[in-house]
Amino acid sequence: MLLLAFLLGLAVGVGFCFWLWLEVNNYLNQVLNPSTSVTSTKLPLKLAFNLPFPVASPWLAEITLIKQQNQSQQEKLQIYQDLLEYAPIGYLQVDEENQLLWCNQAAREMLYIQRWEPGKVRLLLELVRSYELDQLIEQTRQCQKSQTGEWVFHPSCENAAAMLEIKSVVLRASSLSLPQGLVGVFLENRQSLLDVNQARDRAFSDLAHELRTPLTSIRLVVETLQDRLDPPLNRLVNRLMQEVDRLISLVENCLELTRLQTNPNIQLSFHPTEVRSLLKSVWESLEPIAQGRQLNLVYLGPESIWIDADQSRIYQVLLNLLDNSIKYSPTGAEVRIEVKILTHVKTVTNNNSKAAPSLEINIIDSGVGFTNSDLPYIFERFYRGDMARTRPSIESGKSATTIGSGLGLAIVQQIIKAHGGSIKAMNHPDTGGAWLQLELPQVLTNPQSQEYSK
Amino acid sequence: MKAVFYHQNPEKPQLARDIRRLEQDILRMGALVEKSFRLCHQGLFARNLTAIEEIPFLEKKIDRFYRQIESDCTLIMTAQLLTAQDLRCLSAFMQLVRDLERVGDYAQELADIAVKLFPYPAHPSIAEIAIMSHQAQAMLATSLGALANFDEVGGRGLQYLDDAVDSAYHRLYQTLASQRDIQGVVEPILLLGLAIRYLERMADHATNIGNRVAYIVTGQHPQ
Repeated sequence: MLLLAFLLGLAVGVGFCFWLWLEVNNYLNQVLNPSTSVTSTKLPLKLAFNLPFPVASPWLAEITLIKQQNQSQQEKLQIYQDLLEYAPIGYLQVDEENQLLWCNQAAREMLYIQRWEPGKVRLLLELVRSYELDQLIEQTRQCQKSQTGEWVFHPSCENAAAMLEIKSVVLRASSLSLPQGLVGVFLENRQSLLDVNQARDRAFSDLAHELRTPLTSIRLVVETLQDRLDPPLNRLVNRLMQEVDRLISLVENCLELTRLQTNPNIQLSFHPTEVRSLLKSVWESLEPIAQGRQLNLVYLGPESIWIDADQSRIYQVLLNLLDNSIKYSPTGAEVRIEVKILTHVKTVTNNNSKAAPSLEINIIDSGVGFTNSDLPYIFERFYRGDMARTRPSIESGKSATTIGSGLGLAIVQQIIKAHGGSIKAMNHPDTGGAWLQLELPQVLTNPQSQEYSK
Repeated sequence: MKAVFYHQNPEKPQLARDIRRLEQDILRMGALVEKSFRLCHQGLFARNLTAIEEIPFLEKKIDRFYRQIESDCTLIMTAQLLTAQDLRCLSAFMQLVRDLERVGDYAQELADIAVKLFPYPAHPSIAEIAIMSHQAQAMLATSLGALANFDEVGGRGLQYLDDAVDSAYHRLYQTLASQRDIQGVVEPILLLGLAIRYLERMADHATNIGNRVAYIVTGQHPQ
């Protein structure tokens, strides 16, 4: 009896063990080959009897697979690293303690890093003593946002004789916040670009300067001819006069633009200026053209706003912009001007730490507007929009005077910049026409200033 | 190169990190002092007065770093139990930032001289003074490089560079002092005399920094 019970117990125990074994094998198969259902049904029986080796072989297969994957990942990583190493722009990466982990060839050349060896971790400041770069990295880490900065980098030089030969370069850096406090920085050498730009501007203004003198003498000659010629030839000379005048104004505009760009502050004389009446007088001077095309001016905004600005310059800006609006408006339409005072802190300039309000002027017409491809370039010198923008002015018949020089908006932008403001060009969603938005700081809230200027 | 000398303290990673942060701040301050020196050089020798405008702001930042580094050093000294080497390092740091701060002060003095000197025509010996200023700047760069690398040899080598600046100072002093029959006021010569004096002091401070680096590494004051 006892023996029987023992055997029964043994049988149950062995059976249970076998069942468990099967289960484990099944589970292992499922884990190792989740996709191949055919083998998973076949394998358990085979596995059940000689467990260690057959189980090991899928494991081995799995391990080799992972190894292969690892290897291909390593190769990919190596390719990316090589790409970054030989990239034409500099890249460097620092860890949370500002130690330089890696930098590519271009970065080493740009920052004159000579002592760095891959794998040897050093503080970035030990290798490059650039306060600006360090600050950029700190800011990036604090804000957890990418930052851009541009500064003049002077490589430090330990040899007094060689100091004259070392040239400082303008670098632009854009940083990237990476996980675990790492920061990556891309570096661009902007020096050559700036040099080219400067050379271009200089050549441009020299040319304009040289053209001015002969043009003045040509004009004098034409003026003398005008009085002395009889009617049939007279017409040709009049035409010549118009073209010469146009050329002279073009040259003058060029020179003015250069002056504004190189020396913005000297050219301005700030006085309290009332915007509403200024707008009115601008419109009055344009009224003859506006009336010819039955255009109306709609003004939305406060009755009087005083700003501290150069009145004649702002007049020039408004004249230019309104002239454009009139040129491109269809007959019988309206030109809308919306003036607002912005009080938010965002627009405050650096030198004025108080939350001074700024003035926003919107000039909206209902013409064809700008095409999207033109929008980024319209403030550039001599940029012309496509023909859709220029055609209506030719229709008006006075081609010589109404086609702009292509410098108007460039001058407008320079004047606004010199005032510490900004200008944006868009298309208005409602009218579909051009929408120019000016923002000028220096709104005068002090009522006394009104008396002062009167 | 003994860049990782303080890693000899593996049982105190916090202290190593603190010292590393301190070193970083000193190098930041050094970068500012170098920049300030460079700008005052431009003001003095290229008559670029816009370059000078930034110097007072730099000076303020340098002062802030100086005070902060000093108080950080004291804090570490009082809060932790230090080995002789760590203590030597911290005390040398405290002395060294004092030297750096002095160099920054002299840069500002030179900027003031540049403004006062601006209306006068250039003096014949200005080119020689510019070379002296370059030598002093190179010495500052060398001393900061020695600090960054804990390079004892570079730190001690500054003494020989200082000799060149000293001899330039004496030569220039003789030239300026022995001028006769001066047309107009004597102010430009006076200002140049001060300028070479300041440059000579700046070079001395750079030498001091180099000596302190050598002291950190070896524990001995160079002769």
